[in-house]
Amino acid sequence: MKKYTLSLLIAMMWITLANAADSTYEMAMKKQISAMNSIATVEDVQNVKNGFLRIAEASPKEWLPTYYGALTLINSAFRFEVDKDQYFEEAMMLIKHILEQQPDNSEITALHGYILMGQLSVDPNSRGQELSGKALQLFGKAINQDKNNPRATSLMARMEFGMAQFFGNGPEKSCGMARIALELFKAEKAKIDENYILPTWGKEQAEKLADSCK
Amino acid sequence: MKLLALLITLFLLYQTNASGQIQLTGKMVDEKGTALAGVNIILRGTYEGTTSNTKGDFNLLISENETIHLDFRMMGFKSISKKINGTKVPIALGEIRLIEQITEMNSVTISAGAMESSDASRAVILKPLDIVTTPSAMGDIVSALQTLPGTSTVGNDGRLFVRGGDASEVGIYIDGLRVGNAYGTTANNVPTRTRFNPNLFKGTFFSTGGYSAEYGQALSSTLSLNTKDVSARTQGDLNLMSVGGGYSQTLATDKHSISFSGNYFNLNPYQNLVKQDFDWEKSPVGLDLEIAAQQKLKKGGIVKILARTEANKMQLWQPQPGEDSRGDLINLRNTYSYVQSNWKKAFHNGWTLFAGAALSHNLDNFEISGISIDKSSDLIHLKTTAIKDFSDHISMKSGFETYFHTYTEINLNLDKFRNFTEKETYFFSEWDWYLNKRLMIRGGARIGNSKLINDTWIDPRISMAYQVSTNSQISLAAGNFHQLPVDNFRILSNFLKNSEAKHLILNYLYSNDGRTFRAETFIKQYDKLVKFDGEQLSPKMLSNDGAGSAKGFDLFFRDQKTFKNTDYWISYGYVKSERSYNQYRTEVQPDYAPKQNFSVVLKHFVQPLKSQIGASVSMNDGYPYTDPNKDGEMNSKTNPYQSVSVSWSYLPKPNLIIHFAVNNVLGRENVFGYSFAKNPEENGFYPSLPKVQGAPRFLFLGVFLTLSKDKNANFLNNL
Repeated sequence: MKKYTLSLLIAMMWITLANAADSTYEMAMKKQISAMNSIATVEDVQNVKNGFLRIAEASPKEWLPTYYGALTLINSAFRFEVDKDQYFEEAMMLIKHILEQQPDNSEITALHGYILMGQLSVDPNSRGQELSGKALQLFGKAINQDKNNPRATSLMARMEFGMAQFFGNGPEKSCGMARIALELFKAEKAKIDENYILPTWGKEQAEKLADSCK
Repeated sequence: MKLLALLITLFLLYQTNASGQIQLTGKMVDEKGTALAGVNIILRGTYEGTTSNTKGDFNLLISENETIHLDFRMMGFKSISKKINGTKVPIALGEIRLIEQITEMNSVTISAGAMESSDASRAVILKPLDIVTTPSAMGDIVSALQTLPGTSTVGNDGRLFVRGGDASEVGIYIDGLRVGNAYGTTANNVPTRTRFNPNLFKGTFFSTGGYSAEYGQALSSTLSLNTKDVSARTQGDLNLMSVGGGYSQTLATDKHSISFSGNYFNLNPYQNLVKQDFDWEKSPVGLDLEIAAQQKLKKGGIVKILARTEANKMQLWQPQPGEDSRGDLINLRNTYSYVQSNWKKAFHNGWTLFAGAALSHNLDNFEISGISIDKSSDLIHLKTTAIKDFSDHISMKSGFETYFHTYTEINLNLDKFRNFTEKETYFFSEWDWYLNKRLMIRGGARIGNSKLINDTWIDPRISMAYQVSTNSQISLAAGNFHQLPVDNFRILSNFLKNSEAKHLILNYLYSNDGRTFRAETFIKQYDKLVKFDGEQLSPKMLSNDGAGSAKGFDLFFRDQKTFKNTDYWISYGYVKSERSYNQYRTEVQPDYAPKQNFSVVLKHFVQPLKSQIGASVSMNDGYPYTDPNKDGEMNSKTNPYQSVSVSWSYLPKPNLIIHFAVNNVLGRENVFGYSFAKNPEENGFYPSLPKVQGAPRFLFLGVFLTLSKDKNANFLNNL
């Protein structure tokens, strides 16, 4: 009987420990994501990004911490007065190995395209020709990898909008895509609960684009 | 139950133990002691850690009495780790120094002699796209390079002439493999073009001297073209031009791509429409087929194949000085093939290996006044290289090359033939040493052996670069260069040895935020150049007794920033070239080396018109020539050369480009020299004829349409 209790106890401890490890990861991620959503200064950016990278280092099998680390940099480059090229370059360095690990992950592919879009925005005149094609191609690939990824469609819509403006064409195509993206965001929202740590960002930009179409 | 109690006690004890925390503090600095903000300080094995603030300071709470490992990481710096033994008192680590990593992006690079065009490099002079959109270039790589300093435009030749050297002194490579007969075959005084389409390449490396030990058999310059990697998408490209048309189909997946292209050109309709100064019997006609394939391998390797074959012909009358007739009828036919394949792979242990093979085959048939001559040339180039980064301070590049070369001339009337066969082997090794990120030294040597002349030689090369400030650097390059004489001389006398050159170059480069300024000064000494009696076309008594020198300076300024949507560059080059070689008896200025060369290229994008408008100006102070009616050699000079070109590219839709360009829009009658009759007329005067342009102007109209599922793709995306 004693022996049986001991095994049971050990088994229980094992389960608890395993759960604990899992939930520590999730807890840490949730904490970091909420920190990411309340970034106010450039110093916050470094803290949040480094926080994600620490999680990435301790949980090397997870792709999300690195993904969010890179996302933090991209969003900050668009938002703050920083050396944008350096931020985009670091983001690119970060996602390099998760790209290799998960070449079929739609979210990572879309983020890769987002970085190119950022680099393009720094100097559209000299980089546009080369980067616009590459970014569009990556968004197309991300949509193929997961049709329900609202970010892939929304980013594609933004890129198309820029191209249409450049060539003086109508925004119909990009507006249509923005509306599809909004539908996808709606479907995604139904899945989101308090434990959801997968990417959910990007709805505001899609709304903004859809509004400008009206 | 006792056991459970024990466990609980242990657990409680552990908890209590863990609750004792101490403070750990430190300050992150770089090599110079400047505070480093944003360093990630990681408590290994946990999610815990912190980030250094703007003053470099950080503090972290850790458990008492616990041995820990801290990792310090920051992009661009080498990571370091620290083991900290358990203690009960607060820990002050003091200053922790991170060393900056030397990478290609942040360190100095050798810019002496070098002009790179690529997307990757920092010291880029021209991007691949610039080559296609340069108005005077008409899509020819070499013509675009003629807007760079150190080159001179020789309008009746079309090839690349660098710093007072002749066109044979420029070595042309694709993916590091030599291209034989890279220019189309043409008649005397009819300009040629490069055979290869700029769309094939992602970047070019053009050196006007002092280049790497990787390259040899070029006394003046190397032009290295790098082919593109796997194409992004499946698409068809259709081009319709005033001089012909073509179609290219690309099939692509993530891992591999292949493209098939075919082009046909025929200048006849155009030359019927626009009056020509050359007396064409049959306008140039050509057909080319090309296959390019790229395959990504697992773990970062890539294999590329490029195959091209083409056939061209032309027939024209060349008037002779002192004769009233149409002159000599020259009938020229050419077939050419180039095939190459290469493999490249970067391994994780710091080694990068490359292996490649290339075959060039060229067959020319000349018929001049009823005499028919075949000239055929075959060149096989095998090459392997290995690059090893030993650390971020030292790297090495070494390689082994073999060339097999056969050249044959057949006189079809007399049924006589002559030929020679050559085997050359080379070994080179070059070492880069970064003392720090501001100072680097490169040293190497190239050893060569020729079977035909039974000779072995060694070419040492050295260069260094020093970063003066964030945006400027100086570099210095020196080296020895050997080159075997050209085929049509070697076939006459197989014992002709290598010609030699010594380069010394000092370069200053400033580049900041869309503006580049480059100044370079050089000295080049030539020795053992080929010299002969008689004329260029029938040389006698060939020897290696020639010598010469070239010295001068170049200036280059490019600005993409000051004016919105406007990009322009200005080049000026001064070269004093003097050589006693070929038919020249004394050290004189050769006919292809004007002293002063100047060019300006301007491009402006007009958004409302969806158009890029371009203009370029090219000038020099004239070409020297020998007038036999006066005393001495090279005793006269032509009028200065001037040409203004304009172009207009219209993008009505993302997948459609309409390009219109006019060369020498002012119609200036440029003369590149004079040819004189062999014998004087009765009055003792040698009659002459000017070497002129094919027509006052050249007009080009092209429509480029891209067909793809992705409607935004266009020709320019290929670049």
